[in-house]
Amino acid sequence: MADDTAMLALPAAERPRDLALGVFTRPRSKTGWRSWVNTVDHKKIGIMYGVSALVFLLIGGFEALLIRAQLWSPRNSLLSADQYNQVYTMHGTTMVFLVVMPIGAAFANYLMPLQIGARDVAFPRLNAFSFWCFLGGGIFLNSSWLLGGGADGGWFMYAPNSGVIYSPSHGIDFWNLGLIIAGIASLVGSVNLITTVINMRAPGMSLMKMPIFTWMTLVTQFLLLFAVPVITVAQFLLMFDRLFNANFFNVAQGANPLLWQHLFWIFGHPEVYLMILPAFGIVSDILPVFSRKPIFGYTFIVFSGVAIGFMGWGVWAHHMFVSGIGPVSVMVFSLTTMFIAVPTGVKILNWTATMVGGKLKFDTPMLFSIGLITMFTIGGLSGVSHSIAPADTQQTDTYYIVAHFHYVLFGGAFFGFVGGLYFWFPKAFGVLLNETLGKFNFWFMLIGFNLTFGPMHILGMQGMSRRIYTYDEGFGFTFWNRLATVGAFTLGSSILFLIFNIIYSVRRAKKLGLECPNDPWDARTLEWIAPNPTPEWNFDPIPTVTRVDDFWYRKYEETADHRLVRVATADEVVQHSNGAGVHLPSPSYWPLITAFGIPILCYGLIFTLWLALVGGLLIVAGLYGWALEPPDDPDAGHDHHDDHHGDAGGEHAGEPTEAEAGSEAKEMETVG
Amino acid sequence: MTATAVDHGPAESGGHAEHKSHDRTYVITAIGLAIITFAETATYLWPKVPVWDWGDGVGITVSLLVMMAVKFFFVGAVFMHLKFDNKLLATTFVAGIVLAIGVYLAVLFAFRFFSAGTHMV
Amino acid sequence: MASVTVAEAHGHADHAHETNTGISNNKLAMWLFLGSECLLFGGLITTYLVYKTPLPGQKGPKEVFDIGFTSVSSFVLLMSSLTMVLGHSAIERGDHYRTRLWLTATASLGAVFLSGQIYEFTAFVKEGMGYTSSRFSSAFYTLTGFHGVHVTVGIIMLVSLILLSIRGKLPTERAETVEIVGLYWHFVDIVWVLIFAVVYLIPVGAPV
Repeated sequence: MADDTAMLALPAAERPRDLALGVFTRPRSKTGWRSWVNTVDHKKIGIMYGVSALVFLLIGGFEALLIRAQLWSPRNSLLSADQYNQVYTMHGTTMVFLVVMPIGAAFANYLMPLQIGARDVAFPRLNAFSFWCFLGGGIFLNSSWLLGGGADGGWFMYAPNSGVIYSPSHGIDFWNLGLIIAGIASLVGSVNLITTVINMRAPGMSLMKMPIFTWMTLVTQFLLLFAVPVITVAQFLLMFDRLFNANFFNVAQGANPLLWQHLFWIFGHPEVYLMILPAFGIVSDILPVFSRKPIFGYTFIVFSGVAIGFMGWGVWAHHMFVSGIGPVSVMVFSLTTMFIAVPTGVKILNWTATMVGGKLKFDTPMLFSIGLITMFTIGGLSGVSHSIAPADTQQTDTYYIVAHFHYVLFGGAFFGFVGGLYFWFPKAFGVLLNETLGKFNFWFMLIGFNLTFGPMHILGMQGMSRRIYTYDEGFGFTFWNRLATVGAFTLGSSILFLIFNIIYSVRRAKKLGLECPNDPWDARTLEWIAPNPTPEWNFDPIPTVTRVDDFWYRKYEETADHRLVRVATADEVVQHSNGAGVHLPSPSYWPLITAFGIPILCYGLIFTLWLALVGGLLIVAGLYGWALEPPDDPDAGHDHHDDHHGDAGGEHAGEPTEAEAGSEAKEMETVG
Repeated sequence: MTATAVDHGPAESGGHAEHKSHDRTYVITAIGLAIITFAETATYLWPKVPVWDWGDGVGITVSLLVMMAVKFFFVGAVFMHLKFDNKLLATTFVAGIVLAIGVYLAVLFAFRFFSAGTHMV
Repeated sequence: MASVTVAEAHGHADHAHETNTGISNNKLAMWLFLGSECLLFGGLITTYLVYKTPLPGQKGPKEVFDIGFTSVSSFVLLMSSLTMVLGHSAIERGDHYRTRLWLTATASLGAVFLSGQIYEFTAFVKEGMGYTSSRFSSAFYTLTGFHGVHVTVGIIMLVSLILLSIRGKLPTERAETVEIVGLYWHFVDIVWVLIFAVVYLIPVGAPV
């Protein structure tokens, strides 16, 4: 309910306040760790999402390596069956909820406002709250390792296996509550980001002029908006079952365990699309740059993304073909699943057509994008094979499924994210990652990836089950499992290599004092109008947009015979102002404090209700502190802007063009 | 603040009549809703009234669902201003409703809710 | 939803030209949130529908519900929507006294509804239908309980608004805050319209 109560915020400071509720001095620091803790800047929040996701990636990756090490040889005893259950459950949960989703959020937070020409998101403090909720949820979930063991029911947590009888440890309670907290983060974030895209675009930036990543972010956030409450319902039901003895999944009381499967997959299938769509957006923005051609069929790419968003709601029961949902349901969901391959195919076609006839440059971001297209196509084809229900009956619960979803989520989403990291790293940090190491990184990752998940197709066809901690000698699984394990360690090394490249490149740039060019890739989309690294104020003034790929067409013009000629250098186009007079949202501690109360409340639900009371009070105090704190700090140093709120209009009357005056008016409402 | 009040002065007096008429709409809507609520309760108190007793037991359910939908519509359109407000807001809300009805009806169908009657598990 | 925007707070912004769509961020955010809530309550109602028939020997809807009582409390909640919208239209006119009056009426009607629900729950428990008694009872208490929590949050927001207004912190320019709280309140009312028909009135065992 956080967002409801907080809405009662006071009008922004009729009178200045030094102490919010008399407790904290309004934070002012712009450097050091404090500037990160109290920040409401979408760029810093985006970076924090990324860094946290990277840490969780290392945890989830370690769990993956444990799984692969256990499966190295038949009857291996590195992990017991129980430990294996916990490790694969937490691996899946971590990778889905704490790695892929937040990396998508990281890109969305950092890039989306820049791509639409805004100075921040619509609700900067809610944005900070989202991040802290996500981090709190992630830490809460992983703290189960220290407090009696992780969840052990698989990331889909099927009932009644998730009941207290079959899983008496607190692992599933941690899973449940941790994901509810992360769900709050996603829901609040989606409301915030949708509002931003719909309401805060720069002048001229109509919906059909937005960069494709922003479009895909919009679709993703709508999916989150509608999908998160469904899993929240399911998790509340499970929580009431486990903590308060309710009967939702208690078969002895006539409960139907399929209810969980339905609720979970109604969420779960939009979930897989909201994991892949941000990567699709990233690739759609990278490919045109390195093909030196506009994206082929902008409208098709956009609407196929929207179509995926809609159709993603009608396919969930293909996860349940063997659960006995009946022939009619199976037939209907088979058909919808076949249909959803169409918009995805449209995208692959468009990307390929973008490259055809382009002057291709194979820099690292491009390599990763091509990696996404090829690997995702393989995963997509194995996915279509699931839509044929009889074939799916053979494949269900085998490694074939594991191979399929790793091809789409790692080969698809993650390759796109790494490409995006290489592409936008200079935008965020003002440093170009080393190109040679990057190319090596790509091939390293591609080979490791295929070595890991390629053999799993064969293992699945041979009938090897998922989620079983070992296999017998004569089954013929040993060779392919060894291959996959070798691949997994290769893949793990390639992730470490990526981190090495980041550290190496940043150190080297610092040591040699390398200046990053403002437009290292000859890019196309609006975010590159801001200099590298992006200044605190993003844009000054807010640019006026006239067409898709606006930045590109400020550099190049089309002649009468349709040839592009350069009319300006990047440095002429990139903004160089110092941001004086730009009015930015003030930092705040309250989002952190409010978000901090939630995990405490949840620990209380599991261990002792007294602690829940403490957590609850903290949340309430945080919300009221937040509501009573003016969104904007009148005492903060905003250069000369300070005392002119009343006659801001007069101040802007001197602006040279109407468009710019309009953009200044826009700036005011970014301060929510 | 005073300056603001002056700024908004004319606009406000201009909107005055409009608000009053809205108030009328609100009260009339509320009376209508109250009558429907009474009719809803009446299906329980007097189930044999021919309006909703079609002899097969379906009548009461259908009438109740229709009355529910009408109440839902009027609260949304009038009290929540969807009728007077930007269409985007109505679209957002209707998207949520349509999606909810769609997926959850599908779940109920999968559970044979509409065919198995009380034998459904 | 967190707060008003600075532009509004300083009272010099023209609503219509603030955002791309002309809708304020706060209002759009609230509608998005309500759209998302549809899926939440949809899930809970579905769960209830799947579980509403009791097993043999257990108390079901037919045995416990007191339709007369619930009809009255439903009526009370419905009328609170009227007082809410009148409160909103009062503040748009700049009539702060009546705003407070209507908001107080709304919060009071909400509180009456909530007390009715608490009374109903205690009566059910006394009749021997506890939270863990059957799949029907778990589903029923969870659905109506979720709704009750929403009403409670609404009452807290209304009381906060009344206090703000008494302290003069709810000027006419901020009428939209009342409207947004109102949206939430009407939504909670709408959900009860669904619950009243689907849970209480539609007879169990009827071919739906």
